[in-house]
Amino acid sequence: MKKLKAFSALASGLLLSVTVLLLPASGQNTPKLSDAEVAHTAVTANQIDIDYAKLAKERSKNADVLKFAETMASDHKAVIDQAVALVTKLGVTPKENSVSKQLLADAEKTRKTLRTKSGAAFDRAYIDNEVAYHKAVIAAVEGLLIPESENAELKGLLQSIVPALNAHLEHAQMVQKQLNGNGTHKGH
Amino acid sequence: MPKWYKSNSTEMEHTKAIKNTLHLTPFVFVLLYLSSLLVVTIPVTHTVEIRQMQFTPAELTVNKGDKVVFVNKDIVTHDVTEASGKLWQSPALTSGKSWSMVITRSQAYYCSYHPVMKGKILIR
Repeated sequence: MKKLKAFSALASGLLLSVTVLLLPASGQNTPKLSDAEVAHTAVTANQIDIDYAKLAKERSKNADVLKFAETMASDHKAVIDQAVALVTKLGVTPKENSVSKQLLADAEKTRKTLRTKSGAAFDRAYIDNEVAYHKAVIAAVEGLLIPESENAELKGLLQSIVPALNAHLEHAQMVQKQLNGNGTHKGH
Repeated sequence: MPKWYKSNSTEMEHTKAIKNTLHLTPFVFVLLYLSSLLVVTIPVTHTVEIRQMQFTPAELTVNKGDKVVFVNKDIVTHDVTEASGKLWQSPALTSGKSWSMVITRSQAYYCSYHPVMKGKILIR
């Protein structure tokens, strides 16, 4: 019963995060974002995944999960560095907005739920979240951030990160399959 | 001295020169053969670009001894790892870095950071 409650809490958290990110893609009530707000949202979404990775590095002992988390931290940092270099060049100051605020609030709830787990349960919860989060982020980048970007270079940067997000999603699904296949820690 | 005599003398000299060089013929053939071998074995350098989370070309056919240079044109770090993960692996290639290897056998490889990225090198 406890397990079921914990799963429901995590699922609700995930659903909320995913819903917030997917809402704009639905075409209705699409938030209007300036380039400064698009930049802030993009950096926030990347930072959230770095923070999830940090949590995984603290709590997981699974080699595949740790390797995945290491890649997420490194790749999303590279994207943030590119975004910061671009906004600096363009003289744009990233501006907090309703979408980035909601993302942060939902991420905090998800992290709180993940912190209650350990071992194989943590690994599965972390990877399930990564699958859902990357699906949501891809939808948001393609359905909201790219269309809302006015500056061509900002739009180009966002378009260039979509293949990386897709590769992350496939990687997460691969690890998810491994975890569901044997349910135990696996090393190389 | 009549002109025909001079002409005839030149012709004889030419004939003599040809006869003198006839014994070199086998060496000429050997040299030609060796040079043809040299043309075949000169190694060629190929380039595989890592761009948009893909190895391009993903499949490359080369001659044994050719060199393949991997160039990372993505913003994220990649590497090139032999499919089994045991035979060889490049160092981490940050954006803009490259790494090369001489190909001695057909092999499949992937990026250990992004295992969904795969490539293949085949010996012709």
